[in-house]
Order: sequence, then structure tokens, then C-alpha cells
Amino acid sequence: MSKLTTVLALTFGCLLTLSAQAVEIRDHHKEVIGKDCKTCHDNGIKQFPSDQACLQCHDVDDLAEQTARSEEDKWQNPHNNLHYGKELPCQECHSEHGTKKPLCSNCHTFKYDKHKE
Amino acid sequence: MQTRRSFLKFGAGAAAVGALAPLTASAKSSDIKWDESHEVVIVGSGFAGLAAAVEAGKLGAKDIVVFEKLGVYGGNSTLNAGQACFADTDLQRKLGIKDSAELMVKDQLASGRGYASEELLRHSAELGPYIYQLTKDCGCVYRDHIINTGGTSATRSHQVVERSGAGFIRPMLKTARSYGVKTKTRHKFEGLITAADGSVLGIKVRKGYHTEHEDSGKLINVKAERGVLIATGGFAANVAFRQALDPTLGHEVGHTNARGATGDGLIAMLAEGAMPIHLSFIQSGPWASPDEGGFGYGAGFSLYNFPHSIAIDRNTGMRFMNETADRKHRADLEIQRRDKDGNPHPALLIAPKHEAQKDPSMENVLKYNVAWEFDSVEAIAKHFDLPLKALKQQIEDWNGYVKAGHDPQFGKRMDMSTGIYMTAPFIVQRLWPKVHYCQGGIQINTKAEVIAAKNGKPIPNLYAAGEVSGGVHGVSRLGGCSTPDCMAFGVTAARSMMKA
Repeated sequence: MSKLTTVLALTFGCLLTLSAQAVEIRDHHKEVIGKDCKTCHDNGIKQFPSDQACLQCHDVDDLAEQTARSEEDKWQNPHNNLHYGKELPCQECHSEHGTKKPLCSNCHTFKYDKHKE
Repeated sequence: MQTRRSFLKFGAGAAAVGALAPLTASAKSSDIKWDESHEVVIVGSGFAGLAAAVEAGKLGAKDIVVFEKLGVYGGNSTLNAGQACFADTDLQRKLGIKDSAELMVKDQLASGRGYASEELLRHSAELGPYIYQLTKDCGCVYRDHIINTGGTSATRSHQVVERSGAGFIRPMLKTARSYGVKTKTRHKFEGLITAADGSVLGIKVRKGYHTEHEDSGKLINVKAERGVLIATGGFAANVAFRQALDPTLGHEVGHTNARGATGDGLIAMLAEGAMPIHLSFIQSGPWASPDEGGFGYGAGFSLYNFPHSIAIDRNTGMRFMNETADRKHRADLEIQRRDKDGNPHPALLIAPKHEAQKDPSMENVLKYNVAWEFDSVEAIAKHFDLPLKALKQQIEDWNGYVKAGHDPQFGKRMDMSTGIYMTAPFIVQRLWPKVHYCQGGIQINTKAEVIAAKNGKPIPNLYAAGEVSGGVHGVSRLGGCSTPDCMAFGVTAARSMMKA
């Protein structure tokens, strides 16, 4: 499986009334997954995917390496951070069918320029 | 007046219990379809929950589970400044600080203003040395610096090197897992399952829960063989609930808590007839900055600098409080800083750069625009539009107090500002309280057993520890005292369940 450069989680929450055809999907996920909803929705179409779903394709160690920061700011790495280490689930910051901000933004003013809302 | 007011609030709490009681369901264990069964069931993955998990593991429990409703572990515990008050430690002795568990209890009783529980405080303080060692055994590393958190006779707040509660949580989580503890996120506690005699058989859990999606996941029944520990923290994030208890704590006052701190565990235990205690005693952090969310970096900066710095009212250019008094005293005064229209007008913490730069927090607050550097008193006065003449006089007076070792203005302890004069350049942070801790909660005893309102007796197999319990701290909790308390009662709950 190819590794994508950013972690993108899937959620169906606020779009329950729409058919599968109408939900928005990130372009790079369209290319890889197409219309196979069950690829991510391992808890059923009407539930959020498990936190393991994203890890079928994305490797957290690789991601932590890609988003590593200088020694001074090393714990601001979203994929290996001070409070949660590498255990911050993708879905806490990324949403497939909606938008989300980084969890860190609740308290901090860190810059996450590459984050796609 | 206060006593009557407290009674009325208590009365309201009791009424709530009565109103909710008919909604509970009792059953026999054999009638329940159990989806899971565990020896020890712990709800919440903060200090109290993880301390209980580690202790139960040490005591030989074979099947321990920790449920966490959020997608991440640690609750508020992993977000705080990573401080813990311990008395008479090797580090204190090394730094020449004389202290004792007795003095610590005495300080906490004073802060509790007559409402704190001496029995519970003493129990916690006496477990202090054990807890201090337990944290180190888990791999926690402390700084060679102890912090004066305010309201204390001796400086005793030890801090982990991360300067964040994560410095406790992550090692403890790792240690718990090494004992085979099962840790599960996205498992929201929904309620207790009780027998006809009121004893607790297990809990209802929403497995696969996502925050703010209350119907997400599916409900399962979890059986607890030895007991259930509720370690779900406080309710500072529940604005409606806290404002009902203290009308001054509306949306205008933010909070330092994780978004999960909504009082779920407390409300479920109330529904089960547990005794509520001190629910309206809600504490705000006087060290918070309105220029960032939650706890942020400002808290660490102001905590370091309060002892040798001054807090200035922008209307008068003068001090308005003892900057190291206990939190309630300071927060109450800070929230009164208003402009002529009655709107919040945050006070200023003015620290001398020569001292502020000795702590890593200064770099962070400057970098993230939570504090600013000024080359002169004139620059501060101009930037914040406050009376220059009065401010200059205040700083001159303050330097006189430093020299004399005595603060006649507010009686501040001057032993931590010896030789530290207020000279330019200055680092200035704005101060506005944020709801931080709920002293109130469910009544427990020294075995961490939950007490029933109906008869004052323990509810069998139900335990509570940490911020979800009440009565320990009284009106005002001293800074750094929650961490050891949460852990002490988590350990206590584990010992009770394991009959140790």
C-alpha cells in the first residue's frame, strides 16, 4: 500500500441523511479507495470508523518522522506530541466528510501550516 | 449567610437526587446480558484512574480495565502543569526546605476555610511518600526546582521535567499496561448497573463513542467482579451545570479543562443516590491568560513569577492582591477587574526579565504572544493605558518591600523575592481566571467508598477518587495538591477493591 503524506480520517457523523454517493471525499482518497465505503467504515456505514481504520494505509512512525520539528519544538509534532505521544488518533484532528482543526488548537497557538481542514 | 447559602445549595442537590432516583434500574446479575466482565473496572484515565490501575496490578489483580470516553488518555491530568505537592521529600531537604505532612494538612485546612475534611486530607498526606515513590517507580522524573503555588507555609510543589501532567500520565499508562491492564478509549461511561440491594454490579458503556456525537457507538454492559471506580474528574467544561451552582461562572470565564470534564460520572452517581458535597465550591485558576486557550503557557509563566512579581489593576496602576495568596482569594479579586462599562479588564502580571528568563516558560509566552517585553515602565503604561505615576510609585514601593523583606500592603511572603528587584526590562502577561477545579463532588470515606445520601453508608462495590469526589479540599484547593490527592485515593480505591 502506498503511504500518503498526510493522515486523513473518515467520519460520517453529520452527513447521515445523505446517500453514499453524495458524501464528500478527499481527492487523494478517491484515487486510492474509490467508492468502497467499507474500506474505512469498519464499524458499519452509519458509525465512525475505528481508530485502527486509518492505520491500514498510514504508518504513525513514518508520519511522526515526516512532521518532526527542531529540538526546541520537538513536542509540537502533531504525530508525536507531549501530551499523547503517538497515541493521538487520526480522527481527533482529521475528518474525511467534514472539517476539523488540530486538537492542539484548543489550547495552543502552534502553527500547523500543512494541516488541511 | 454563607452557611445558609451553602445549605440551600446542598438542599438543591438533595432535591436533584430525589428527582433522579426513580430513573435508576435495579436488577439481578443473572438477569443481565453482560457483554464483558472484568475483575476491576476503572472509569477515567487521569491520575486517579491510572494510579488505581497501577496499584491493582501491583496487588495481583488479573483483569483490570480502564475505560476512557475521549479518543485520548489522560483527561485533565495530562494537560496540567505537572505539579504535585509532597511534604518532607529528599528534594525539599536538599534545597533546605523544612516541611511535614502535618504542616501540609494545616495549610490545606486553612485554604478549605473550615469545610475541608481533615480526615481525608490526612489520609492523602500520609500516603504522600508512597505516591511520590510510586511516580518515580513508574519512570516520572522531577526537576531540581520546587514551586510556591500560593497559600502554603512551605514551598512544596514538585514538578516533572516535562512541566506538563503528561510527565506523569505517559509513564503511568505504560506501567499500567506492563501489569496487563486493558486500556480502552472511546468507551463512554453511561451509567451504573445495580442490584436490588443497591450494590453495584457493573456499568453501561457506549463503545465507539465520539465526542459531541451522543448517539455514536453502541451500548454494552460491563460486569465488575470486585468493584467499579469512578475517576471521571470534574465538571468545569459543563457551563450550564457549573453556572447553576455558581452564577459568576458563565461563558465569560473559560476553563483549563479537557472537553471531557462534563460531570458524567458525578451525575450518574447522583442518580444512584450518592451523597453530593460542596458542589458550589468551584475554583478558578488566577494564573490563567485570556490570550490563549485552556491552560496554555501563561499558567507556567505566572506560577514561576508570582512570588517575585506584582499584579497590577489597569484602572489604578496599583497592586490589588497578595500574588501568592491561595487561588480563590486571587481569582475572586482578578474577576473583579472591570473597565468603566463593567466589562472584563484583565490585570497585568509584571515580572522583571532578569528573573523571568531563568525559567523556560518565558521563551514560550513571548513566542506565542501570551506575554510581551517592555523596556520601561513608561512603555507598559502607554501600551495598556494605565496611570503612569501610580505605577511608578507602586514599583518603587514594591522594591522597598523587597529590600525590607516585608509587604505591608498585602502581607505577601517575601522570602521568595529576596534580592529580586523590579527593574527594566519587564515581561508582562494579562491575567484572567479560568475555571480549573471542582472541589465538590461525591462524598467518600478514607477507603474511597462512595457514601449513600439515604443512610450515610457506603454503596457496596462503588468507589470514587480524584476530582469527581468531594469534601476533601473544602472551599479552595491549594495548587499542586490535586495530583497527590487523586493518586492517593486512586491507590486507596484499588486497595479497597483488592481488600489490601
